[in-house]
Amino acid sequence: MLAYTFRRLLTIIPTLLIASILIFSFMHLMPGDPAAVMLGTNATPEQVEKLRVQLGLDRPIYVQFATWLQEAFRGDLGDSIFFQSPVLSVIQNRAETSIFVATFSMLIILILGIPIGVISAVKYNTLLDQLTMGFAMLAASIPTFWLGLNLMILFSVNLDWLPSSGFPSVLESGNLNNLKYLILPCITLAAPNSALIIRLTRSSMLDVMKEEYVKTARAKGLKESIVILKHIFRNAIISIVSALGFTFIALLSGTVVTETVFSLPGVGRLVVQSVLRRDYPVIQGIIFVVVILYVFINLLTDLSYAFLDPRISYE
Amino acid sequence: MRKNVTLILLLAFLLIGSSMVMAQEKGGTLRFAMIDTPPSLDQQVITSDLATIIAQHIFEGLYTFNSEYAPVPMLASGSEVSDDGKLVTINLREGVTFHNGNEMTSEDVVASLERWGEFGVRGPVLFEHIDKVEANGKYSVNLYFSEAFSPWKSMLAFINGGPVILPKEIMENANEQPISPQEYIGTGPYQFNEWNTGRYISLTRYEDYAMREEESDGFAGQRISYLDELRFIPVPETGTRVNGVKAGDYDYAQRMQGDMYESLKEDERVEVLVNQGAQFGELFFNQKEGLMTNTKLRQAVLAALDMEPVLQAAHGHPDLWDQNGSIMPEGTIWYSEAGIEKYSQGDPELARKLAEEAGYNNERIRFMTTTSYQTMYDSCVVIAQQLSEAGFNIDLQIYDWATVATRRNDPAVWDFFYTWHGFVPDPILYTFLSPTYPGWWDTPEKRNLVGQFTKTMDQEKRTEIWSQLQEQIYNYVPIAKTGDTYTYDITSPSVKGFGQTSLIWPKFWNVWIE
Repeated sequence: MLAYTFRRLLTIIPTLLIASILIFSFMHLMPGDPAAVMLGTNATPEQVEKLRVQLGLDRPIYVQFATWLQEAFRGDLGDSIFFQSPVLSVIQNRAETSIFVATFSMLIILILGIPIGVISAVKYNTLLDQLTMGFAMLAASIPTFWLGLNLMILFSVNLDWLPSSGFPSVLESGNLNNLKYLILPCITLAAPNSALIIRLTRSSMLDVMKEEYVKTARAKGLKESIVILKHIFRNAIISIVSALGFTFIALLSGTVVTETVFSLPGVGRLVVQSVLRRDYPVIQGIIFVVVILYVFINLLTDLSYAFLDPRISYE
Repeated sequence: MRKNVTLILLLAFLLIGSSMVMAQEKGGTLRFAMIDTPPSLDQQVITSDLATIIAQHIFEGLYTFNSEYAPVPMLASGSEVSDDGKLVTINLREGVTFHNGNEMTSEDVVASLERWGEFGVRGPVLFEHIDKVEANGKYSVNLYFSEAFSPWKSMLAFINGGPVILPKEIMENANEQPISPQEYIGTGPYQFNEWNTGRYISLTRYEDYAMREEESDGFAGQRISYLDELRFIPVPETGTRVNGVKAGDYDYAQRMQGDMYESLKEDERVEVLVNQGAQFGELFFNQKEGLMTNTKLRQAVLAALDMEPVLQAAHGHPDLWDQNGSIMPEGTIWYSEAGIEKYSQGDPELARKLAEEAGYNNERIRFMTTTSYQTMYDSCVVIAQQLSEAGFNIDLQIYDWATVATRRNDPAVWDFFYTWHGFVPDPILYTFLSPTYPGWWDTPEKRNLVGQFTKTMDQEKRTEIWSQLQEQIYNYVPIAKTGDTYTYDITSPSVKGFGQTSLIWPKFWNVWIE
């Protein structure tokens, strides 16, 4: 297991290198200039050129890439062109929101998605199953911006129960009460993802239910709850865990629409803004961090298979 | 009886008076929901309107604009100009302190003007006429011009990309890169407090602010800081900004959409504020390369355009736009009707005739626009449609703004592009007057008129020359103006004290929360 983990961790290096080269090339192939964006619509070409030189954007692309890579392997991801501060601190600043949002949304997804999926499978083809599937279909089809804005109108504008947008830092202020700012965004994000997990849990359970060993377990006279939880659910869970892993990475690396609607200072909005501003160091930095996260979470997901299913071994 | 009436009236007067005083008590935080985060607050090198909205509370210039767009002293106390117009002596107010507690002197002013002149966005336009800036004692500064340059005061008063005054020790080490937030030390009624990236920028009241004594008038005069804190929060989604004000999470929200105007005006939970500083959309024609170097063809394009549907599609309610052909808006001293009979002709037949005379043979015309700003895109869709109907073969090329800003520097890849121009108090600040700005308008007639315009000190003569320049614009068609447009914001009804905003930046001195 240790050797396998070590081998997997080593794959981070080529993955990072390839991802960096690709992103760097694509970003620089795109027309557009951060200096022009910074100076605004009425800047003259001379003013833009002056700032380009100052920012080092006039150097050849391969020189810019080599310098960046050298610094990155020393742990310095450079300075944001737009914010004029270290990329790591820019990402760190946004990471708090993304981590909280991803974690709480995942909790809602787990609490709703798996039990409802299990019940739906057990009650297959009944009215309850039809209702839960209808709900899942609805949750998956509603656009997140529509859901977000309507939740905001209901709970913030009309009922005045929750704040409409923004997220004051919990870590800086130590004020846990600020977490209430995340209730509406997390519900908005969890809705379509829960629907996905409900449907996946249900279909995985239904697949396993058809297996011979399930019939054998029932024939042995085992209690139905034991058959469902120990024999069906445990065998169905592998594909659900894989989907949960991917969902968590997607939530962590940013959910642009929800962050925009609720004005959350998260990583997703930072990525989009940085692309529009051509803030190359920030985009590179985020890709760097996301690739590392991706490899780690995938590794954890893979390792969890061995605990969930004793037949899987990494020796 | 009369005594009682007098007593009652006196009591009533006292009550009303005291409630008015109570209403304007200091305190509170104003939460401003803005569309994005500015790149920096360094006014000298950044022209972003978002930056100016915030920075105008921290930094001040030697001059500012009153409600009639006339430049009037701010940190200056007055000025003297020599007979030949080559020496301008600006006297400074005494006792003005920076937010670090040090008194502002002529050395700070010289260092600030020199940095702006060398590295500032708009500084070189003024400084190419200045030989030297030097301190003349502790509270006076001399500007030595190589020749008379009439718009100097307006240029010193325009804070956006303008010469705000900072301490000498900061300015001497600054270059074209924006200064860091730790160096945001100005003389304004609010001082920089915190930049929490992605969350907010916070300013707090500067208790030792040296206020002018004149009545507040536009951006000039008294600047009373009733509010304890100004907090500028990026909220990119319009619906969220609206809901946030209605829910009481924000006190002021910037830049609403045109199609929301009617419903917001009728909503009691918000008040609508239309900014009086007109912006305008403009088509820039490529006069360096390609089809549009043909003046007749540019005239044909201008003849085809009917600006009313263009403005209506992009800005909605008629309160938010004026179909005005004068380059400067009505109400300013620069308003002129010269050449405007050629504005918004909407005559496809004339356009066809002119195009034929120009030798146009259905060649592809590359029209660049962006979806980064919705109103720009909406305007361009209607313009493209009108031009197609007049027989032009329009290739509407849509990019994000960063791409347009880069591609427009290459004359080989476009024929015309669309952008907008913010309100400027003196026409010399228009980008299209610069021969190096994409479009490259640089004819001998124009050069001659611009030369006369900047050298003449007499305002009447300047207005007359500007009219001639405007006539040139309509004859030669380096640009085509679509019309004046006005942005609007919303505020909570509890926020009071907004006067008419004569420029496009809302300001929060003299504003309080009830």
